[in-house]
Amino acid sequence: MGLFSRKARAPKADGEKGLGITRKYNIAPGHSYVIEESPPDISFDAFVNIVSTVDTGGKKSIGLAVSRQHSDLIRQKYGLETTSIYWLATRAGQDVISPTNLGILTHTLVQFVEDNPGGIILLDGIEYLVSNNDFNKVLRTIDQVNDHISQSQAIMIIPVDPRAFDQKELALLERNMEKMAASRPKK
Amino acid sequence: MKILVVDDSEAFRKVMIELLVRVGFHDITEAKDYDEGMQVFRKEKPDISFVDMILPGKSGVELTKSMLSVNHATKIIAMSSIINKKMIREALEAGAKDFLLKPTNEIALNAVLTMWSD
Repeated sequence: MGLFSRKARAPKADGEKGLGITRKYNIAPGHSYVIEESPPDISFDAFVNIVSTVDTGGKKSIGLAVSRQHSDLIRQKYGLETTSIYWLATRAGQDVISPTNLGILTHTLVQFVEDNPGGIILLDGIEYLVSNNDFNKVLRTIDQVNDHISQSQAIMIIPVDPRAFDQKELALLERNMEKMAASRPKK
Repeated sequence: MKILVVDDSEAFRKVMIELLVRVGFHDITEAKDYDEGMQVFRKEKPDISFVDMILPGKSGVELTKSMLSVNHATKIIAMSSIINKKMIREALEAGAKDFLLKPTNEIALNAVLTMWSD
């Protein structure tokens, strides 16, 4: 078995235990969302809120997060116990995806969506991906995953730091995705 | 509708008040800890209180219990900058209606206020 398939499959998860709180984000299955923000607080809050609550039909969503932040830090801060979390980093290790290996990233995300209809993906660190790859390659990766999101009623959330992209790149990123308002007063 | 924000961070209270004003609430008071929280709560009789779970001295869970013992119809939303499931469970068991992760945002705040304001 090659490296690609060995690393690519996210383990099946049962989902987080409910927190007994309300679902705060009106996020529709089958859609991908771009949230222009830095740091990605709203994206994480939405992701955690959805995996920790049930929808109106009482159904839980299984989550998968990819982030530049180490998975231990994410688990600690957001209380995520069963959610699959991948660290975007150049170091070798379990649950690590190299930013230069868009093939593994695509396969991991697509496989997750196929294994977990109605699941939710948080793809944090797109700026890091773009700094390690050609922008168009990253865009193709997102578009490819997005096609599967639409088909399987899954959800994808992508936080984007607008300072890291020019207007044309932002427009291309947001072309096939919903833009979620993320206003917050300045401190 | 009267709203009380209890948090030991003055900067966070300012951000929260600015957000509340932005989403259409103007009758807002603030407090920095348990003692001040109870004092303002008794005086202002807020409909909804946003209470940070980690306060200096007595905790947000204790403040939640005390507020509800004064007025059981008041609504309390617990807040914290980390999701500690045990703490959230304790807050909900103490009578808090919901939980907000800090720093909060307009979408989450609107959802909570829509859900719990009469």
